[in-house]
Amino acid sequence: MTADQKITVHCTVNGEARALEVEPGETLLRTLRERLWLTGTKEGCLEGECGACTVLVDDLPVDACIMAIGAVDGRNIRTVEGLSDKLSGEERMNPLQQALLDHAAVQCGFCTPGLLMTLTALLEQQPSPSSEEVEAALAGNLCRCTGYRQIVDAVMAVAGEQRP
Amino acid sequence: MTAVGANVQRSDGAAKVLGEAIFGVDLAVARMLHARLLRAPVAAGTIRRIDTTAAMASDGVHDVITGADVRNERAGVAVFDNPLFATDYIAYEGEPIAAVVADTPELAEAAIGKIEIEIDEVAPVATPEQALSPGARLVHPSWADFGTIGGIDFGADGNMVAEIFSDPGDVDAAFEQADLVVEGSYSTPRQYQAYLEPKMALATYEGGRYTVQVSHQYPFRARDRLAQVLDVPKSAIRIVGHHIGGGFGAKLDLGLEPYAAVLARRTGRPIKMVNKPEEERLTAPCRENAVVKIRSALRNDGTILAQDVDVVFDSGAYANNGPAGASIPMFMYASIYRVGTARIRSRMAYTNTAPTGAFRGVSGPYLVFAAERHMDQIANELGRDRREYRLATLAADGHKMRNGQALEELSILHKAFLLVEERAPWAEQIRDADNASNGEKLRGVGIAAAVWLTNPQPGQATVKLNEDGGIIIVTAATDSGSGAVTTGLRQIAAECLGLPADRVAVTMPDTDVAGFDAGSQGSRTTHVAGRAVYDATAQVRQRVLETAATMLEAAKEDLLIEDGVVRVAGVPDMGLSLAQVAMAANFSQGPIVATASYTTPPPPHDPALTKGMLFNTWPTPTYHLHLAEVEVDAVTGKVSVERYVIAQEVGRAINPDAVMGQVVGGVAQGLGYTLWERMDIKDGKYVQRNFETHGLPLACDMPKIETVLMEHPEPAGPYGAKGAAEPSIVPVAAVIANAVSDAIGAPIDSIPITPEAVLDALDGLDQ
Repeated sequence: MTADQKITVHCTVNGEARALEVEPGETLLRTLRERLWLTGTKEGCLEGECGACTVLVDDLPVDACIMAIGAVDGRNIRTVEGLSDKLSGEERMNPLQQALLDHAAVQCGFCTPGLLMTLTALLEQQPSPSSEEVEAALAGNLCRCTGYRQIVDAVMAVAGEQRP
Repeated sequence: MTAVGANVQRSDGAAKVLGEAIFGVDLAVARMLHARLLRAPVAAGTIRRIDTTAAMASDGVHDVITGADVRNERAGVAVFDNPLFATDYIAYEGEPIAAVVADTPELAEAAIGKIEIEIDEVAPVATPEQALSPGARLVHPSWADFGTIGGIDFGADGNMVAEIFSDPGDVDAAFEQADLVVEGSYSTPRQYQAYLEPKMALATYEGGRYTVQVSHQYPFRARDRLAQVLDVPKSAIRIVGHHIGGGFGAKLDLGLEPYAAVLARRTGRPIKMVNKPEEERLTAPCRENAVVKIRSALRNDGTILAQDVDVVFDSGAYANNGPAGASIPMFMYASIYRVGTARIRSRMAYTNTAPTGAFRGVSGPYLVFAAERHMDQIANELGRDRREYRLATLAADGHKMRNGQALEELSILHKAFLLVEERAPWAEQIRDADNASNGEKLRGVGIAAAVWLTNPQPGQATVKLNEDGGIIIVTAATDSGSGAVTTGLRQIAAECLGLPADRVAVTMPDTDVAGFDAGSQGSRTTHVAGRAVYDATAQVRQRVLETAATMLEAAKEDLLIEDGVVRVAGVPDMGLSLAQVAMAANFSQGPIVATASYTTPPPPHDPALTKGMLFNTWPTPTYHLHLAEVEVDAVTGKVSVERYVIAQEVGRAINPDAVMGQVVGGVAQGLGYTLWERMDIKDGKYVQRNFETHGLPLACDMPKIETVLMEHPEPAGPYGAKGAAEPSIVPVAAVIANAVSDAIGAPIDSIPITPEAVLDALDGLDQ
């Protein structure tokens, strides 16, 4: 098989059904960044360690840099670009995104998209996590700038709002 | 005040959480090709043959170059030692040998694999000790001919790149008077910056000019160094900056820019280059490994009569800006404590390892580690309380450092001791730690002090009043994450003009557009670029008032600006919006725009007191005290940080949340350096080659950090601000090692303090 031979992968990306013409060996990360121009998902270590490429596949966080595109056939993919409604103008940030800004939890911002996807999955499964659960969930997302404290504070603020 | 002191949100924040922010690695332009480097697979060797024929014939390949195809003169920041490509010999693993341009990165990579090279590998000069030993092989055989910046003589000899020296001549005599001599040797490893965005460059060549798009901390240095390497005028180069995915010092010098630029010119196509993660790790300018030896001559009453300090650190294969860093021991020793007289010798050595360079707090973490471990050692030998001994030895305002510069506000450090004492009383900490300790869990407390600087290098800002009353700051200052540009500069302009900060925007750096700025290094942006912004905005304010005075037929002195409206004092219903003033100005004397520059003037000092200094003074000092309590598991050797308290002097916190982000982030990097991160070198090669083995701090590793920001507004700073971003990393290794040593009752004089190191130290104690 040469590099020119493509396969078609059917999946949903940020709510939109897609039929993607891809090379069989390419990673989900490459498909997202280079074919769909969804460059919000970042390419960091390419070995599944830094978490900058985290996306949700059927609601579970995965490292897109080590996931073969063929493995997402028939599945539902969400990226940072799908977290907010792009059409609603000023109020387009979701509460988690807003909380990160309110708590100064974004510095260089390169880890931020992946971290947001991990935290989105956490809050969907556990709307009011303890700070230890937040820290444990972030074990696959490296942030070199912040020391994590303001990130955890931001999540706890969102979780607090969602508590009954 | 409204804007200054508020937690204004960063102007790039929304783009970053929405995934819209375009970082350097995200860039793409029409007709773009991709290039990759062939890097040396050995630490040292002679290149016998390079054959690029098969690579040139490989699929999708446009160009293959080696040092034989391009200008390959040696160049550098301080020492002109570094060629673009290794041609005859290899100086470190990862050194570029050839470059390939192809349609895609994958095709370029495939062609790299087809370059044939024959190398006669030789045993590397792997450590500074080896490099400086008599008869050592020279890392660079012809290096006596290398040029230096300004022709400065750094005292090069053998493999020694630079020697910085200060000897008042009375040190040996003082040692003869001593009741007691305390000596120690303190060793520290490399530390990788571990930013997440790899280095990149996207170069085009059009109409005789190079444009290079980068994510770079110091675009003007990229321009100047590129001009040096290509031997073209600076005016032939334009550097355009984008969001930077972390730098911490690693993106201050050239990376891939010259390769992309050369290839863009050769191929006539835009060239994009991005380092692979392993290339990044092999070639990043890590914090240098170092060994510091300190001897102190003491009287029985604890008075230090003299100190003799010897610092040796690893330059790696090229000097980068190392000779500047080699000056820093002159400010870290005999500075905050009264040590009588002091002889300080600082040497950097070439080795066959990746070149070291700038990492947040350049040199500081290991110099303070040695200084403050040594203070504990002295106190313990004298039977003195470690905090009390420091306070008794702390120098007073006006104390002169080895360069003759006075620390005029050193008493701030005394206040820091008192503030930390209020929050974490030392006697209680010690007692609680003793009470909490048992056979398996050992608790200990440490304290460490430091003085740090605010980098003085110049910056310029242009402030423009738009016709809608908004402000644009045009600057080449860069924000590699701190918020110094995206919050600080905006807040300073907003405060000066009486506007909300959200009416102030700031450009990304472009060396064709903005005036010179020395980039994000040494905590300089808020203080230096901020002062330029303040001065420019103050001129804009004057122009606004002059224009409005004419329009309102009022005296300029009677006008004030509130919330974007110019009013006559005492006449609330009479006013002009900034938009009206800006429009009127456009059609009369011209747009309201002002430019200002600032450089911190060098503090008075005596150049005759030191030899070889590239960095002569310690401008705008700030003062820092850290206290930590640790728990050591005597069974596993694991260290956990139970409490961490900081008093940090910042001049003025323009944005307290942003400052706290810097403080906590710096401590996290310091804890990684001290406890977990590994960049071991074996036979000249790095052992840890990915994040999995590296040991970066995770969220669950971070203790709660209690921080007191001490504000002592600096008159020269914008609204009193000094540098705040770098220094929190500086005392961390010292304070943790002091606490661990206290906990286990045995000295820990090297890092990282791994569980194995702790258990070894405990075993040593048992013997």
